[in-house]
Amino acid sequence: MNQNIDLLTLRSVSKSYGTVPVLHDIDLSIRDGEFLTVLGPSGSGKTTVLRLIGGLEPLTAGEIRLDGQDISRMPINKRPFNTVFQDYALFPHMTVSGNVGYGLSVRHIKRKEIASRVSQALELVQLGRFAERFPAQLSGGQRQRVALARALICQPRLILLDEPLAALDLELRRQMQEFLKSIQREIKTTFLFVTHDQEEAIGMADRICVMQAGHIRQLGTPHELYYKPNCEFVARFFGENNLVAGKLGPVQGEQRPIETALGRLVCSICDQPHLKTAPDGVSAFAAFRPEALHLADAKDGANRFSGTITDLAFAGSSTVATIMAGANDAAQRLRLRMPSRIDGSALKSGEMVSLCFAPHEGHLVLA
Amino acid sequence: MSAPRPSTIFLAAITALVAVLLYSPLFVPIVSSFFTISHGNVDWSSPTLSTYVALAGNHEILAALRTTLIVGLCTVVLSVVSGTLLALYYHGRRFGRSYLQFIIFLPFLMPPIISGLALLIFFREIGLERSLLTVVIGHTVFVLAIVYRTVLMRLQSMSRTLVEASYDLGATGWQTFWRIILPNLSSAMVGGAILAFALSFDETMITILVTGTQSTLPVRLWAMMRLGFSPDINALVALILMFTVLLCVLAARFLIPRQMATERT
Amino acid sequence: MSRAGSTHSAEGRLSQLVTVLAFALPVIFVLVPLAIFLVYSFFGVDQGTIVYAPTLSNYVRFFTDPIFLPVFWNTIVLCVSVAVICILLAYPAAYFLTTLKGRWRYALLMLLLVPLLMSYVIKIYAIRSILGLNGFLNKALVALGILDQPSTLFVFNMNAILLTLSLLLIPFAILPIFLSLERIPQTLLRASDDLGASSLQTFLRITLPLSLPGVASAASFVFVLAIGDFLTPQMVGGISGFTFGRILYSQFGTAYNWPFGAALSVALAIVVICAILVGERFGRSRGTSV
Repeated sequence: MNQNIDLLTLRSVSKSYGTVPVLHDIDLSIRDGEFLTVLGPSGSGKTTVLRLIGGLEPLTAGEIRLDGQDISRMPINKRPFNTVFQDYALFPHMTVSGNVGYGLSVRHIKRKEIASRVSQALELVQLGRFAERFPAQLSGGQRQRVALARALICQPRLILLDEPLAALDLELRRQMQEFLKSIQREIKTTFLFVTHDQEEAIGMADRICVMQAGHIRQLGTPHELYYKPNCEFVARFFGENNLVAGKLGPVQGEQRPIETALGRLVCSICDQPHLKTAPDGVSAFAAFRPEALHLADAKDGANRFSGTITDLAFAGSSTVATIMAGANDAAQRLRLRMPSRIDGSALKSGEMVSLCFAPHEGHLVLA
Repeated sequence: MSAPRPSTIFLAAITALVAVLLYSPLFVPIVSSFFTISHGNVDWSSPTLSTYVALAGNHEILAALRTTLIVGLCTVVLSVVSGTLLALYYHGRRFGRSYLQFIIFLPFLMPPIISGLALLIFFREIGLERSLLTVVIGHTVFVLAIVYRTVLMRLQSMSRTLVEASYDLGATGWQTFWRIILPNLSSAMVGGAILAFALSFDETMITILVTGTQSTLPVRLWAMMRLGFSPDINALVALILMFTVLLCVLAARFLIPRQMATERT
Repeated sequence: MSRAGSTHSAEGRLSQLVTVLAFALPVIFVLVPLAIFLVYSFFGVDQGTIVYAPTLSNYVRFFTDPIFLPVFWNTIVLCVSVAVICILLAYPAAYFLTTLKGRWRYALLMLLLVPLLMSYVIKIYAIRSILGLNGFLNKALVALGILDQPSTLFVFNMNAILLTLSLLLIPFAILPIFLSLERIPQTLLRASDDLGASSLQTFLRITLPLSLPGVASAASFVFVLAIGDFLTPQMVGGISGFTFGRILYSQFGTAYNWPFGAALSVALAIVVICAILVGERFGRSRGTSV
């Protein structure tokens, strides 16, 4: 497996239901062996992407290529992909081993081989003891693992997972995230995972594809998405963020200033050529994470402004302060996150404070 | 759209065949209510309403129809009142419920000949002459299960907190019953009443066994059938068909929960 | 309503009355008649009057007389055949309905169920005229060249009963099969496709097994309704189409032997109860009932 080779390519793929378009001209490459997460709010078209790839629905326009071959019209039962459905879709009248072996038995593989591959697959998902149970006798997490075993037993080129953890409670969901990731590492199969939960996406994905309103907004590693969002939507959707609107100033090496209601803020534009080439005076946002914002001390020079703390919320390991910054008529609501301390916060609600963030911790997004 | 697959064509053909089979027995009397048939050939050239006119003069049939309506109404009143009371009583009560349900459902599950004969012997033993009263009792026993079940299902879908909220707001048991429970049950009761009426209207086998000298329409028709029908019967059949379709639409309307109806609008 | 009570005496009295009625009514009008009926089967008849002395003679007669057991058995075979015919026709129709979308699905379902509401007697009469020697069926078969001349194959005999009952009872088979097919989640079928099954494999291994509970209830419905019917055989059976229901009915008419009729009813009831229990047993879906 080579992570640099494209397994599957979507080219100018569009999809409409009747006259309602749900996907607009999508281009996406999935690399062989990667764990790719498609992340987006509901209605963003993320599940549609999965259904098109799986062959559950026909394309309206464009093509899907597997190893360079067009498979857009290949019927669902011929595609070398398998799906883990959101509600698992386990066959209620078959035992666990009947469910897991189904994909092999419809291909008329010998009983003996089916039995041995089923037991291997069940060992892999740690359900060896449950082979003869019916789905109704299993817990949610166990059903989830049966669905996974059933999908991977045919050794598909790609496993499609449609929000498979949505029905599980929080603790189980965390366990299953680790479990899925470890299985994926072990069998080295490409996973395409659809979710609306960004924590889930960050925890598991090699790369994340953020979708909104039928468009792909950004595709990159979780780190890239977090620190170099390329648009306002990703900057706001992916993790908590402070955005302050303004106009771009002239480029200063790897940094660029932006004139905002909080004054001139200088942010990093390193490795983002489109920010370098954008003309002066263009509308943009300065974006900085709550954990990048801190109380200014004497030696801090750049990106300094003052604000009033309006609320303090204890959130376990960290404490979040809500701050109104800037002049009254253009006050900005900002958040500041800092490690919690046993003897209580150094801040007090209603207090005036001086704040700043380092230029290399701020970034710019075009409006 | 691609051409339909052979399997789909096969299924559609079977469905069409079934529809034809089901409607052919209805088709015959309706066609002959408007056209004259001689030697098995329909005379399409001269549609006529004479059968309907003849029906209006057939006192025997009209009397049977009136009897059927009276029996139907009495059955509806008796079965809705007792079915609703039983459902209210056994809802949320464990003691005896499964036995009682079993007993109520027996006449519905058993072949009507068994229910009918059991009642026939019972009436004879208690010295009750066969009359319209015995017919009404027979019908009520037969349809009670349907009304009971319809009302009980509504009760079960009704949120328990509704009643609790009423008590919580200071209402008495009576007030809660009249102002909360009954209004919520009313559409189920109407639906159950329509079903009960439809079943009573066409009930033949129990009625034949327990009826006295006055008989309902199906029994009258049964007696006449041995001799062959006069053409005005076809007119009656056509009218009954329209009437039952109407009843069926009404029943569907009342049995679909209100929530679903409002969601659609 | 259990809370209503103790506070007001009127409510208390009403609740007592309701309690009494709730137990008494079903017992008086259902249980007592059936019990008396059962007791009657142990009485005898002497010269047209009932002898109120316990005897097993009715049951002995049922098992030893060469007439009754064969008719009993033939009737069971007939009704099983009716159930099979109904299911063979109803299954494809119900399956076709589930392939339709939204409004069409229910409109067509209604269309197939409405004939149920039509007068039973009239339908029997109409079918008889269709099946008759000069009926539509014979005319059609002759016109199509399948027959040279009208056949008596389905005129006043067992075949006529078989066809008439099947025609009358098909809707009772369509509904439960449709409901069980409709309950199968679409994702199960998609999952089967996804795992590489052909549409025939998906039907045979997923759809069919999951719809068997509906088929079982349909079969038990149709069988019970067919075996209890004494009007249809009377009307279309002629002399050769003798069924158990007819014999039973005649004990209360021409033969005038109520106790023997009661014993025959007990035999009928046992078969019906067995059919219902079998339907119940297989009507529950496997795996999910745990």
